[in-house]
Amino acid sequence: MESSALARFDAVVLPHLDAAYTLARYLTRNAHDAEDVVQDACLRALKYFDGFRGEPGTSARAWLLAIVRNTAHSWYKQHRTDGLAVEFDESEHSPVVTNGQPEARESLGRALDRLAPEFREVIVLRELQGLSYKEISDVTGVPVGTVMSRLSRARARLQAALREEEVR
Amino acid sequence: MSHPNFEAQLDAYLDGELAAGDARALETHLAECPECVRFRDRRLELRAAIVTGIPTFPAPAALRERVQAAARANARRRFTMQTVWRPLALAASLAVVAFGSWTLALQRAAGETLADDVLSSHIRSLMPGHLTDVLSSDQHTVKPWFNGRLDFSPAVYDFAGRGYPLLGGRIDYVGGRPVAALVYGRRQHMINVFVWPAARGPTGGPERRTRQGYHELHWTTGDYTYWVVSDLGLAELQDFAQLLRQADSTAGAPAARPGV
Repeated sequence: MESSALARFDAVVLPHLDAAYTLARYLTRNAHDAEDVVQDACLRALKYFDGFRGEPGTSARAWLLAIVRNTAHSWYKQHRTDGLAVEFDESEHSPVVTNGQPEARESLGRALDRLAPEFREVIVLRELQGLSYKEISDVTGVPVGTVMSRLSRARARLQAALREEEVR
Repeated sequence: MSHPNFEAQLDAYLDGELAAGDARALETHLAECPECVRFRDRRLELRAAIVTGIPTFPAPAALRERVQAAARANARRRFTMQTVWRPLALAASLAVVAFGSWTLALQRAAGETLADDVLSSHIRSLMPGHLTDVLSSDQHTVKPWFNGRLDFSPAVYDFAGRGYPLLGGRIDYVGGRPVAALVYGRRQHMINVFVWPAARGPTGGPERRTRQGYHELHWTTGDYTYWVVSDLGLAELQDFAQLLRQADSTAGAPAARPGV
């Protein structure tokens, strides 16, 4: 009984640990904080795991990412007075996955880090993790219409940043 | 971009999130609007740039191990708790259910529906404009107000000196009859006192019930039935009930007789 619950947690939650870490990484913009946030979020997920029954339409990934997001927000309220909207600190950011043109990646990644958190998170959830608008709405707690307009505005900003980079 | 309303739609379209009807309209528009086509193409470029340009971060192995260890520790703790306590808890809750349904069966028919009635009246009275028909802190204004409106005259006191000022009164309808409702305050809390003549019978001490965060105290004197309802703390509400009972007993029988 209990070992099956454990097996279920392993099967349902652990596959999304990379997604959880990536989201935390972009929300905190810092590897160390991201680890703390994900570990905290997983402990919360364990606590509420009985409440998650994997109903149709609720993806385990969206469920876990919602917990990660909430954890990051409350974590920052406790540990940092400046919240998630802090200006980007370049010394804290260095992407670990390197493939493709380093120049473009640097600049676009940096542009993403400079976005306001509500724009940053929709880009991460959609572009990096492929969530549907409905799932993003569940994770962020805003209506689907707001997800749609935020995503569009976030992309417009990234595009502007990319063009600036080309002009230079 | 001269079609700003299309921007978000175009994004949703490229994301495969646009409803079929809107998607067809958009495709029709794209066929004749080079500007929107350029917009779409730039978005497709951005998409490609994001795929190659924005990294994902695999969870560090140490983090994964810590999470797995926490899950195991958690499962062990729950296992101990559940194997030991679950049968006990189950037996206990069965006993409670059996006892509860037995007492409920006895009470529900009369007392509970009346108590529910009283609670609904209290909650309704808290809605704007429903609290008082006669708004006065003067017991000599409130008491006569009931004359001609009810076939009894409730005892009205002012406990302002004890921290429970009289705020007013109104007629309410409880248990199939018009009743007097007296409103007292305690800081920001409201206390409703429902009073109506009772068939002569045994006088009882306060019974109490708590529902939805409201406390209800109920007792009968020789002539009257009292219900006191508030979200006030139980101790303070019992204090207030005590004041009321003392005042009643000092005044002898409740001051009024039918038809005063």
